[in-house]
Amino acid sequence: MQGDEADLSLLERLRAGDANALEALMGQYSARVYRLAYGITRAAGDAEEVVQDVFLTVCRKSESFEGRAALGSWIYRITTNAALNKRRGKRQEVETALEEQLPSFKADGHREGDRAYVLADWSQNPERDLLSGETREVLQGAIDRLPEHYRAVLVLRDVEELSNEEVAEVTGESVPSVKSRLHRARMALREQLTRHLGPRA
Amino acid sequence: MTCKEAIAKLAEYLDGELTSVVQKQLEAHLKTCPPCRAYLATYRKTKELAAKVNRVDMPEDLKARLRALLIDRIRARPAGG
Ligand SMILES: [Zn+2]
Repeated sequence: MQGDEADLSLLERLRAGDANALEALMGQYSARVYRLAYGITRAAGDAEEVVQDVFLTVCRKSESFEGRAALGSWIYRITTNAALNKRRGKRQEVETALEEQLPSFKADGHREGDRAYVLADWSQNPERDLLSGETREVLQGAIDRLPEHYRAVLVLRDVEELSNEEVAEVTGESVPSVKSRLHRARMALREQLTRHLGPRA
Repeated sequence: MTCKEAIAKLAEYLDGELTSVVQKQLEAHLKTCPPCRAYLATYRKTKELAAKVNRVDMPEDLKARLRALLIDRIRARPAGG
């Protein structure tokens, strides 16, 4: 993601106190910043504080933006750091719990679990059922229990639809680490959903 | 290819990042392995569902507070300062 002329001139106008530039900046990024901040912190109050911090930082540091990366990428990076900072101290010991939520395998490479469990396929259930009631709560709870670095990667890849390389640039992780976290996060959520939804008679 | 190896490749499979040789091996495994087909279907659905519940909207009142906070801030400083 390379910065372009439009990004640079937007920031220049912002520095000059141009309210229209502020509107444009907010219009382009505030919803995305909130989504990412909420996705990482999982608390509306924390997400609000992060959004304010991020935009204050962007206004204050706009001189240091040199267009080597795209403005969007820079803003995602500030947001990710601010949201992870907000989580500091609130972190639960969940890393071992994540291991327990991943599929386990027998020595021959087959998945553990009885036949009905490994064959459970709830993917054709009506989406309105999957996204409401108890199932939605199970999914939300599973997302809550993911370590925050995994949530950051999950939101950046699957909601913001950045590439692995772009996520690595934003989070400062290596591409293999991004891929591994994304895969493990999805597997953990899938496991929770499957324990809840299947196998059903 | 074992189920364990197949499942380890699903993210790259969905991203179209596997080499054509590995992709063919994986597809051959899926063809003969109902549990891995079920795994792939639910894995893909999980990705979609998680993206949907993570797509939260910013509250309108927050947008207004943010605008007020920032307008003051950018106007408080002279240009170039
Ligand atoms: Zn298999």
